[in-house]
Amino acid sequence: MESRRPPPSPLVDSYVVPGDVVLDLSEMTNQTIKLGTGLRQECDTIQATSAGMLRLSKPNKYWVESSQKRYIPSVEDTVLGIVVDTKPDNFVVDIKGPNLAFLPVLAFEGGTRRNIPKFEIGTLIYARVVKANSIMNPELSCMDVTGKAAEFGELKGGYVFDSSTGMSRMLLSSPTCPVLEALGKKLSFEIAVGLNGRVWVNAPAADTVILVSNAIMRSESLSGIKQRAMVENLLERLS
Amino acid sequence: MEDTRRADGRSPNQLRPFSCTGNPLHRAHGSARWAQGDTVVLAAVYGPKPGTRKGENPEKASIEVVWKPKTGQIGRQEKEYEMILKRTLQSICMLTVHPNTTTSVVLQVVGDDGSLLPCAINASCAALTFAGIPLKHLTVAIGCGVMENGTVILDTNTAEEQQLKSFAHLVFPNSRKSVDSKEPKEKDEEFERGLITSVTHGVMSEDDYFNCIERGLAASSRISDFMRKTLQKEASSVDA
Repeated sequence: MESRRPPPSPLVDSYVVPGDVVLDLSEMTNQTIKLGTGLRQECDTIQATSAGMLRLSKPNKYWVESSQKRYIPSVEDTVLGIVVDTKPDNFVVDIKGPNLAFLPVLAFEGGTRRNIPKFEIGTLIYARVVKANSIMNPELSCMDVTGKAAEFGELKGGYVFDSSTGMSRMLLSSPTCPVLEALGKKLSFEIAVGLNGRVWVNAPAADTVILVSNAIMRSESLSGIKQRAMVENLLERLS
Repeated sequence: MEDTRRADGRSPNQLRPFSCTGNPLHRAHGSARWAQGDTVVLAAVYGPKPGTRKGENPEKASIEVVWKPKTGQIGRQEKEYEMILKRTLQSICMLTVHPNTTTSVVLQVVGDDGSLLPCAINASCAALTFAGIPLKHLTVAIGCGVMENGTVILDTNTAEEQQLKSFAHLVFPNSRKSVDSKEPKEKDEEFERGLITSVTHGVMSEDDYFNCIERGLAASSRISDFMRKTLQKEASSVDA
């Protein structure tokens, strides 16, 4: 049976606001369309519910790309959370979302009831989202899919700051983001980026940490070339 | 049609120059400063935050509105504005996406020169969009007044509101981009978009009221385009 590809929406890669009709389904039959964030189905049409750029990933996946200060949890995202409470079975972690997340005490590599990690309130944790839906509190894990620790867990020292979700995605994009590339050529530092809009920076010297954090915070609204120029500027002032 | 000149020299259909600044507040999750002439309102949105207040339905998100006047204590007028705003925002937000959460909208009146409620509604809608709260559509609010000879004037200022027999604040959904090529854009089609909120002051006849709605609807598309451009400009200044 031949499957016809649905024609892409003419609004792809343009700015949409809530209420814009993106696709009309009454002419399409027997076709699957996958909807990501920011879209919903209203009878025979697909409408946008948030403002942003409409993106299409061939063949049939649509979503609205936008950048916010708050985070909507989705499965398999890596996030930086801060512990706000400890319970017998879970750590309660704040991941800047609409609900607090739970991190089970056994979700660590080689975790048993005898060697539960002792996290105090305020500990920074790099974890992976395992369960996320709008009704329940999201669940995290400090193991990857195979059960290994893989860099998850507590992050000690360093400096944490907030960014927007769009900024985090830009920092994590490949090829490497220009600001990180420019900084990495001259300085050595360690960085962890959470998709929930938190960034952790660590380096042996405090002034390196401050420089890297400021560079990242300022690079949000700059293009690639401007980012490199800004980093050059900051590095000159340091040396 | 006689040429009615208003006190400040505007024509009946002319709106005051409006402007919108996106995210002026860094701590709020979304904020907007909406100015219509000398009426300026600053709206800040915090949320969604976990938990609802007592008495609210936990299966839906709840919206909490706080109205801060420019001077004076909070009284009944402020509570009335809060209630109107809460009902309007509840009708445009998709409340079932994040159940059992609270979104707070805080409005600060910076300047008041008439059409305060429409300015506040526009500001809070822009702030909700900047915060990423899922919405069914945007709102466009406009104030209309009816003069003695029956002409409808748009975007009333304080002096006009005090003189006029009656005026109304109307809120419409925004004009949307659609890929639907089947529907032709007719006047009736526009009318079908409906009215979200309507607050009237004074006494006006039915015909005057429907006149107001028609004029308001026509002007709402201008404000709607402006809102779309502002949102796009803010987004591109952050990403690029």
